[in-house]
Parts: sequence; C-alpha cells; structure tokens
Amino acid sequence: MSLPAAEWLELLRFPFMQRALLAGLLSGSLGGLLGSVAVLRQLSFFSDALGHSALLGISLGVLLGVEPTLVLIPFAALFALVVAQLVERSRLPSDALLNIVYSSSLAIAVVVLRLLSARAGSLEQLLFGDILAVSWGDLAQQALLLAAVLLYLLLTRRAQILVSLDQGLAVSQGVAVGRQRLLFVVVLAVVVALSIKAVGVLLISAFVVIPACSARLISSSFGVYVPLASAIGAGCGVTGLLASAAFNLPSGPCVVIVQLVSFLLALLIRSRRLQPG
Amino acid sequence: MLTTVPTPAGVPVPLTETGSDPWPQTVLEVDGLTVGWGATAVERPAVENVSFRLAAETDTALVGPNGAGKSTLVQAVLGILPRQAGTVRVLGAPLSPSGRLPAAVRAQVAYLPQQLTVDGRFPLTVAEAVGLGWEPSGLRLPWAGRRGRGAAVRVALERTGCADLADRLISELSTGQWKRVLLAFCLVRPRQLLVLDEAQAGLDPQAADQFLRLLFDLRRSEGWAVLQISHDLEMVRRTCDRVLCLNRSLRCQGSPEIALSPAQLERLYGRGYVPYHHHHSRP
Repeated sequence: MSLPAAEWLELLRFPFMQRALLAGLLSGSLGGLLGSVAVLRQLSFFSDALGHSALLGISLGVLLGVEPTLVLIPFAALFALVVAQLVERSRLPSDALLNIVYSSSLAIAVVVLRLLSARAGSLEQLLFGDILAVSWGDLAQQALLLAAVLLYLLLTRRAQILVSLDQGLAVSQGVAVGRQRLLFVVVLAVVVALSIKAVGVLLISAFVVIPACSARLISSSFGVYVPLASAIGAGCGVTGLLASAAFNLPSGPCVVIVQLVSFLLALLIRSRRLQPG
Repeated sequence: MLTTVPTPAGVPVPLTETGSDPWPQTVLEVDGLTVGWGATAVERPAVENVSFRLAAETDTALVGPNGAGKSTLVQAVLGILPRQAGTVRVLGAPLSPSGRLPAAVRAQVAYLPQQLTVDGRFPLTVAEAVGLGWEPSGLRLPWAGRRGRGAAVRVALERTGCADLADRLISELSTGQWKRVLLAFCLVRPRQLLVLDEAQAGLDPQAADQFLRLLFDLRRSEGWAVLQISHDLEMVRRTCDRVLCLNRSLRCQGSPEIALSPAQLERLYGRGYVPYHHHHSRP
C-alpha cells in the first residue's frame, strides 16, 4: 500500500530519512565505483564472500565484547587477504572455493550469534541492513571512504585496466600485479565491511555488481564506464529509498530491485543499439 | 665458425657463431636461466640453463616443439614467471628475483602475449588501450599529459592502419585488428625490445601476412630488437637474423641457415619432422 503524496513528502523532512537518502547516495556511488573494477577483474563472487564473512566478523566482535565495527574492518581485510591467497594457491575452481567460504562463514556466524543470544533480534537487520539507522558519523565515514576510493582508482587507473586485461601484459608494463591485486581486495573488503550496516550482508554484493554490469552494457569507453557505474549506483540508492518510503517496504531490498530495473533497462538499450538500421 | 656445448644428453651441438663481434649493443642478456614450478621443478624444470644475447635492431626467433618451454622462457625473461636460477639483464639492468626492472628500462620493453582474450564486453576503446602503452608506470592521474598522449596515440594508430578503430571497444575487434592495435600499443612510445609470443596465432594466412609485413616494416623503422616465438619456420628463415632452438634447454642458436638446417631441425623436433609454413607474399 503506498503512502499519500503529502505524507511521503512529510517523511522526507525527518532527519533519519535525509540521512538515509544520503547513505543511499554514498553507498550506491561507492559500490558502483569499486564494482566497475571488481566486475572487470571477475571478483563479483568474491564481494559476495566478503559480505558473508562480515557477519562472522561481527559475531567475533560480540564474542570478544568489542564494538563490532572495530573488529570488522581488520577482520574483513585479513579475511580478504587469506581468501585471495587461498584462491590463488588452491587447485580448486575459485567459484567452488568461494562458495565454501561464504556459506560456512554465514553458518558459523549465525550459530555463534544465536548461542550468545546477542543480536538475535537484529539478525535480520544484519542480513538485510538498516539504512534508516545510519548516523551522521556513519555518513562522514562513508564520505571519507568514497573520496579515498576515488583517489585510489584515479591514481592506479592504468594498473587496474592492465591487470584486468592480462596479467602478463601488466607485468611487462611495470605493474606490480601481486601488490595491486592484494591492495584491491583489501579496499573491497573495507568498503564491504563499512557498508554492511546500511546495506546488509545478503545484499552488499548487489551494490557492487549490478550498477557496474548495467554501466558495462552501455558504456562507450572506460572514461564513461566508471563514472556511469557510480552514478547508476547512486541513482538506484536514492530511488530505492524513496520507493521504500512510498510503499512502506524494506529499504535494502527496494534498492536492489531498482538496481535490477536499471540493469534490465541497460539490457534493453544495448539490444536496441545492436539492432540493424 | 661455430662453438659447441654438450647438451643434457651429452651430444655436442652448435651454440653460437663466433668471429667478429656481432653485438654492437646488447639489449637483452640471459645467462644460465632455469625455470620450473610444481613438484617436478627441481628434477625436471620447464626451461634449463638457457643463455643467449639479443643485439639492438635484430630480429630473433625462438623455435621448438610444443611444450618445449618457449612461452615459459619469454615470460621468465620478462619477469612474469619467477626463475629458479640464472640472470637476466635488460639494457644492462638486472631483472630482480621478483621480476622488477627500473621504470626507465621497463618502459623500453613491450610484450605481445599469445592470446589476450577479453571476456565479455570490455568498456575500453582502442585509443584508450593504446594510450596505456604511452603512460609511464606508477601513480598518475588520468588527465596528466593528456595532450601528448592523444597525439602519440593518433600517430601510432595511423602507422598501424588502425586510425578508423580509435573509438571502437577492444572487445569488438577481430583477432587481426586486435594484434595490430597491440602493435600500436608497442609503437606509441620509443622502445628497444619487443617480445612476441606467437604473434601469428589465431590469424588466417592473409591476416598473418599483413601483420608480419607491418611488424617487419616497423622493426626496421623503429630499430627494435625483436624476440618472437614462432612455428612458421619459413617466415623465420626469410625475416629473422637469428634463431634460438629450444627444447627445455637451448639446443642450438645461430643464423637461420645454420639453426634451421635439416639436421638441426630433426634434432630439435625429432625424426620425420615436416615443416609448417604459410605461403607468404612478402616480406
């Protein structure tokens, strides 16, 4: 059931809603920005595994009696490094290995949280996120992270493209491929860890993958692709939140549904362009 | 005159021509290079104790049967694969054990991999791809040196006949077009060493001919030292100055007349070897 327009506009005057809209803008933009490279690097499934592992990090924080966010960032970064090494050195297909990692992380985390009886009521909040609960401090953190990721991608653009194209070619052009790959997964892990509160464990990979894939379908150059992925992410974040307020539906899933619509639109645009004449 | 060294099997084979100094400027110097990985790396490395030198402005072919270690050798020389033993020097600078070279030396080297498969739609235009070859390594904002890069990219694309492809996405190119674009990538800044891993792979005879003609002309005009892996011995015979014959270890090196003699080929490929070649129009 949708809200009447007047009530909907009234809702936008509440600070929590304004913060949520800003969080949607920032997390969507950040997901699209980093996702543009993650998708080219075929790390979509990796971001999913990172999201699930974040829950394990939170449960570790609860177990140790430490503020979960403080544990989450180092845990996610360390987890990303270990899994990246495991994927590289193991002789198993990476999708199978990542499946083992993310499903077992999720299972262990849920069991630990239930046993501790802590956060039991808010498990759903962790799985799907609660963007309406973000604070101004969270927003400042996200804005700083967005600026840092933007600078990182701008400065390492050549290396990011060459590593995505061919690692041998990248090495021959002086790119420290191993270092670049590890640094990227650590940055991805930190972004995932800090976005969990707003986006949730189950939906975080959609924020990274869907806007980037939509942009990839319709971009005419790399110069267009990365900003477009970020803009689609930001646009979907805001639109999804407005839709969630209008229809009184959970915010995270609404954003992902809007992202799906954007992807379908991109597919349509792409197929129109491919039609002869 | 030829010098000889014992092979692992103990049979002496010609190694290098001697006489007047054939190395006016050594671009690449490989000494005792051994490369291997996995459980059998020590007992049976993929490439064992290989030594050779590449002079400036020469075209050297690396030939040998499938599985002889040709790609492994060039990748170790470029620092893509780690080495077990030996040294590699590019323009006098040693390649570090982790495969690093000074940035100024690295900028003088270009590499065309055997297959560069772009998975799905890759949103990178030909002009953007060639521009990556112009940029030095290290941290740099994308708009730094934009004007100089644009001019260099235009010239490189024109010289390789790719000017009309500038705005096309690299994932939409045919294999032949992609190879020419990679040559433009090499050409976009001055280089001294160009390493090609089976540049003709995936090309039909006509496209292979066009590519080789272009490579031949550019090599002459740019003064590149070229090291190329090839299975086309007829082309090697006609266009290369020197040949390295590899089958895990270097079995022979010298001019095409010597290294590709029937006796050497039989030793390299085995009895009953039938040479493969395209019918080239030129060069």
